Amino acid sequence: MSGRTYKIGVVLDARRYERVRGTPLEQRAVPIFGGALKMVEIEVSEETARRLLQEFPRSRIDARGFIEELPVAFKRRLFELMVELGRADEGAVRAVLERHLDEVKEQAAKEEEYIPPP
Amino acid sequence: MPTTIIKRPPPHGGVLVNRVERNAYRAQRMAAGAPRLELRPTLDRRTGLPIRNVYREIVSIAYGFFSPLDGFMTRNEVEKVLAERRLLNGWLFPFPIIFDVSEEDLQRLGVREGDRLLLTLRGRPFAVLDIEEIWRFDPIDMATRTFGTPEKNPEVVRVPFDHKHPGYNIYANMTGIALAGKVTIINEPRFRVPYDRFWYPPEASRREFERRGWRTVIAHQTRNVPHLGHEMLMKSAAFAGDIEPCHGILVNAIIGAKRLGDFTDEAILEGHEAINLHGYISPRRHMVNFTLWDMRYGNPLESLLHGIVRQNLGCTHHMFGRDHAAVGDYYDPYATQILWSRGIPSYGLNEPPHETDYGLRIRPVNMGEFWYCPKCGEIAYSANCAHEKERQRFSGSFIRGLIVEGIEPPPIIFRPEVYQVIVKWWREFGYPYVNSRYLKAKEEQGEFELGPMEVPGA
Repeated sequence: MSGRTYKIGVVLDARRYERVRGTPLEQRAVPIFGGALKMVEIEVSEETARRLLQEFPRSRIDARGFIEELPVAFKRRLFELMVELGRADEGAVRAVLERHLDEVKEQAAKEEEYIPPP
Repeated sequence: MPTTIIKRPPPHGGVLVNRVERNAYRAQRMAAGAPRLELRPTLDRRTGLPIRNVYREIVSIAYGFFSPLDGFMTRNEVEKVLAERRLLNGWLFPFPIIFDVSEEDLQRLGVREGDRLLLTLRGRPFAVLDIEEIWRFDPIDMATRTFGTPEKNPEVVRVPFDHKHPGYNIYANMTGIALAGKVTIINEPRFRVPYDRFWYPPEASRREFERRGWRTVIAHQTRNVPHLGHEMLMKSAAFAGDIEPCHGILVNAIIGAKRLGDFTDEAILEGHEAINLHGYISPRRHMVNFTLWDMRYGNPLESLLHGIVRQNLGCTHHMFGRDHAAVGDYYDPYATQILWSRGIPSYGLNEPPHETDYGLRIRPVNMGEFWYCPKCGEIAYSANCAHEKERQRFSGSFIRGLIVEGIEPPPIIFRPEVYQVIVKWWREFGYPYVNSRYLKAKEEQGEFELGPMEVPGA
């Protein structure tokens, strides 16, 4: 292991932001793009990054070192666990992998075929 | 007397290739009696998904996008390309262009060097190939030598290429049997909506520039729906020119086999068009067209092909940004800028492509990157903005992630009208991006139709 770290960005739109308001997570929410959105950045080890890339083959690391194109189901579950656990760290990411991987993969497979348009 | 005025460059190699036979009688005569071979996509052996279809290379050769290349390469020509990135006639060219067939097809056809082959697409006559040579190769070796290795190409290659790299994967999945020779389209493609209104092959593109009064035109490479970073790249790079900024900006989209998760070709074309339709860059200065090509993601090598194609289209300049035509971290993020500023000797490119004999006449505009800076309050250019702590990078992947989560990207990084284009095609396909269903449907339909054509004795 090189000790390199990567990031996962959990974007908070108005609805999600309401759910973290008044919790410790609110302090972690950084305004982005002139305050149009907020984002919580979670740093993960190379080991966890590799696991994510392996579990979700369409995900990729972008030029900023962020792991992108993770399934929507993964991001949604991660956000729910962040709220439930009150933390936004590698532990929350690993909790998704350990507790909810099958369910996330099942939903992700459906996402491959159809996502309802807005 | 020296002049600072820049004029439209000649085609690469001097003359535009035009191998499209439009006379129906002559076309029928050319194909009469020739054995038929149906063109099929190259499939990824691991996934079964189409990763390339050679008909796109046929179109790009025959209409002159790849001038002076006028056919599929012989073994000697491929060796020359791999050693020096030049064709046998000396003109620069980055990639082996190979027409590969299966052993079964070769046996069934029973063709030999000197024979003519009728190539059909979706069952209809499309083109003829005059076989100059039948030769064999090792696909893995071809893939490796095409892109290089960190050891052999230390100036730019950072990580060994593998099957996750789409270009490597294309060569690695070829059959290993090549038919070389000139190719001629005998049944002109009729492009479907929306491709039809963006179809400006080199001759038509040059005519269109003339009609618009564009003397200087800067090319923008895309395989993406544009975000504000792309738009600012276009606007800033277009200040290059000669005694005035470039008259025109040509967005030349590469249309071909896609990766899962990419934007659809339809959204890419109309997304860029939305930039001019809604006046973010005036339609008097901005136009969109496309080239058919299953992109090899060869970063500096791909930029060389882009230079060739866009010079053939009539452009005087080409903008190159960070991670040009790149995927993953195989290459240095500025590998393309290295090529166009000092060359890459390990690829046989001892000088920048525009400063070598039998090289290009198009001029590079090597650019850095753009990010959002809250302190500058704008999409800022990397060489200008010194607010390292404040800067917020955004990528196409990040924006795709937002969209798929049901979040409309904020207008400061994404034009609402471009988002509406994405939603339009999302409704059409039931999915915002390329998925396996889109890939298969696209291979079944293609970008164009062919009319019926009788070929005696074929």
